[in-house]
Amino acid sequence: MSSEYPQVNDLIGSRSIRIDAREKVTGQAQYPADLFMPGMLYGRVLRSPHPHARILSIDLSEARALPGVVAALCGDDLPEPGLYGLNFPDQSPLARTGGKVRYVGDGVATVAAQTPQAAEAALNLIRVEYEVLPVVSDMRAAQSPGAPLVHENRPDNILHKAELHHGDIQAGFAGADLIIEGTYVTPLVDHAVLQPEAGLAYIGDDGRVNLWVATQWADEDRRQIAEALDIPKERIREVITAIGGAFGRREDISVQIILCFLAIKTGRPVKFVYSRTESMLASTKRHPFEMRYRTGATREGKLTAMEIELLANVGAYASTSLVVLNTAVTLATGAYEVPNVSVEAKAVHTNASVTGAFRGFGSNQPNFSVEMVMSKLADALGMDPVELRRRNILRTGSEMHTGEVLKGGVGGIQSLEAATARAEELGLRPGRHRSSGRRRIGVGLACGCKNIGYSLGWDDHAGAIVEAWPDRAVVKIGACDVGQGSNTVWAQIAASTLKLPLGSVSIARNDSDVVPDAGSSSASRQTFVSGNAVLQASLEVAEKLRALGPNAPDSAFPVIAEVTYHAPKTFPFDSNGQTARPSFGYGFGCQVVELEVDPDTGDVRVLRVVAAHDVGRAINMTNVEGQIEGGYLMSQGYSLTEDYPLKDGRPRATTLAAYMVPTALDAPEIVPVVVEEPDLHGPLGAKGVGEMTMLPTPGAIGAAIHDAVGVWIDELPMSPERILRAMGKL
Amino acid sequence: MTLHAISIKVNGQFRAATVTSQMTLLQFLREILRLTGVKDGCAEGDCGACTVIFNGRAVKSCLVLAAQADGAEVLTIEGLNGPDGELHPIQKAFMEMGAVQCGYCTPGMIMTAKALLDANPRPTRGEIRVAISGNLCRCTGYSKIVSAIELAALRIASLKAEDGSWEILGKGKCIHHE
Repeated sequence: MSSEYPQVNDLIGSRSIRIDAREKVTGQAQYPADLFMPGMLYGRVLRSPHPHARILSIDLSEARALPGVVAALCGDDLPEPGLYGLNFPDQSPLARTGGKVRYVGDGVATVAAQTPQAAEAALNLIRVEYEVLPVVSDMRAAQSPGAPLVHENRPDNILHKAELHHGDIQAGFAGADLIIEGTYVTPLVDHAVLQPEAGLAYIGDDGRVNLWVATQWADEDRRQIAEALDIPKERIREVITAIGGAFGRREDISVQIILCFLAIKTGRPVKFVYSRTESMLASTKRHPFEMRYRTGATREGKLTAMEIELLANVGAYASTSLVVLNTAVTLATGAYEVPNVSVEAKAVHTNASVTGAFRGFGSNQPNFSVEMVMSKLADALGMDPVELRRRNILRTGSEMHTGEVLKGGVGGIQSLEAATARAEELGLRPGRHRSSGRRRIGVGLACGCKNIGYSLGWDDHAGAIVEAWPDRAVVKIGACDVGQGSNTVWAQIAASTLKLPLGSVSIARNDSDVVPDAGSSSASRQTFVSGNAVLQASLEVAEKLRALGPNAPDSAFPVIAEVTYHAPKTFPFDSNGQTARPSFGYGFGCQVVELEVDPDTGDVRVLRVVAAHDVGRAINMTNVEGQIEGGYLMSQGYSLTEDYPLKDGRPRATTLAAYMVPTALDAPEIVPVVVEEPDLHGPLGAKGVGEMTMLPTPGAIGAAIHDAVGVWIDELPMSPERILRAMGKL
Repeated sequence: MTLHAISIKVNGQFRAATVTSQMTLLQFLREILRLTGVKDGCAEGDCGACTVIFNGRAVKSCLVLAAQADGAEVLTIEGLNGPDGELHPIQKAFMEMGAVQCGYCTPGMIMTAKALLDANPRPTRGEIRVAISGNLCRCTGYSKIVSAIELAALRIASLKAEDGSWEILGKGKCIHHE
């Protein structure tokens, strides 16, 4: 650690126990479904069974007449236009007569009843007349002339296009000794958060609507609720409960608008809990991508050119797809420096589940392609895959294909060297196997790079208030601890700055009446952005306390500092996809995977994994390791088993029995390696860690499968069927 | 609708109620007794978040009808810590090893671990993985959970050598709930 970073005390980088651990191991932590109120009603939503249909009529009369039913409502009962959406409003929480439903699971009508049984019965009494429309299911067919439109105002079903041109692509290929081409495909996948979406809403004594919910960004929830229900944002108070995992899924609206709508219409408390199947049907997913990569390299293994086409399936509504596609373009060359690049990217609507944020946010898909390309290049050139990566990896001073010159905090080479050194100690050497027999062992490696923060011109900021007494402090911040441990990070930063024991710092309830907005728990940004806000506020109150000396306040009056921290400015793309600074920071990682393939069944068993990740500085070492281990395994699921297939727009895996999340038996022993290459602007040098932990995995597994059985699998998941087919056995 | 009068010993106390045929043990524990430490993650036996100890075995409470549990002895996460709030060694180990992230799988995971250690006090890492393979965790990658259960096994072994205080828990000790 260089001396320009404040040296605090031994709390930073410690293995302090998470401050919410006790309430979680005792079952006392309250998630939204754990809340009950007297006189509370139960909300439910009727969802479309059709991927694409026009609503001819909705008859709620029988449902309304059922004893125990207090309200039955549809989109016609919402104010005009009654829409919501993260990038722009294009989604209705409920269907209107004459309007459309655009995916299986789209909300049609809602009921509130005195018992869950009455609510269930009421759903069965709602009569909806649908005019079934042709289904848009294929991304390429969707763009052909005359294809049915998911949104009539989006020609060719195209939501968004982005282009990037860097260097001279022709010259780049002319200077290549070897050119390889390939198409890579990734599936629609579900976050499978353990806690299904839920919430409780009621009207307070002051007439405002109170919403208790698990989300990633309360302030943005409130903006969207206000817009859809046409009420002032100030009329909504949102309180964040314990959150049972998020991974991007809880950035989008789920129960929020419906709950507030029902509470306002009935005047009574309403609780709404998704079933698992409803959660899978109605919630956002990760974008399926089809990617074409044409790559040139010299005999010495220097990349000269990459020509890239990215096609992303948006599904039914926009959500954050514009930004996801732009992120894919920004990170289209992965962790490597490529002097000549062209990217053409399109985000296309189909009648599939809505796609939105999912840990990695558009970087996982291109990173998989790039790492497969790198492994194939090494193989074709007869070069050590580590050495090939070493020769091309982004370093301080590298020029990215966005035109940005990296100034520091670039931990790519450090992660690569740390992962391979640890792997070597364990006897794992990438790409040197080709064993025979029943158990074919393979070892593969891959790298990854992910931006931190919103990027591309957003004013990324967070507010924090620290109230301090001589012997204790309270941090007030609107940042959602989704399980990653951010509240513990705030407590550690405040305690270390104020020289207090960790137990003397508490985190105020995340209540919109009490805490300042700190932005979304996404983009691996909270430790960086909110961490800086907490650090600055803590430094200010520490200074105030010092100045007061013996006149420090008694317990009634704390000294207070409120800070809004603005992260370093970023800039949007110009018309060529060039920008001096798309992001204020990047996290890097490298993983080495050892696995075995059964050549008769195509089964893959991952044996050992080394995962090295540059986090700038670990504030909580245990939590950083937990992110690395958990992110790796989530990505192993993405690589090998997870798929949410649709047939003609109809989902076929809507339970956790059909959707294959890794179990403890699928998980290998994971060796996390924490690399600390301090960031120039992060608090105490810290960056982010959440998303980058997923990036190297699919490429590393793909390389290891090739090492084991000699075939490249260019489509996720790398299922036994795909492996056997590639081996010519199917 | 058929109603059943049932009496279940939950966390050491007999709890009587009249329930419908359809009500699951999970619903009984959460909705009637308000033991919300028992988590509902899927209600169809796939995730393990609702695991409780049922007559000494780890059971997914969503797969048992409340009426079937009549006369049974059930231990939930709420009954695991001692009367003074003292944590069970498994709970302590989960905290110390970083086995908790979002926490939603945690109560079920801990109950599965308790049933395992009751039956097999010194499991290998492989045996621990088999035991918890019906409990999904989406956050941790399981490594730290396996390590926590290993640590708890060691600690319970040394506590038993001292006075056996953790052996009696869950076997009839009365713990009061609001």
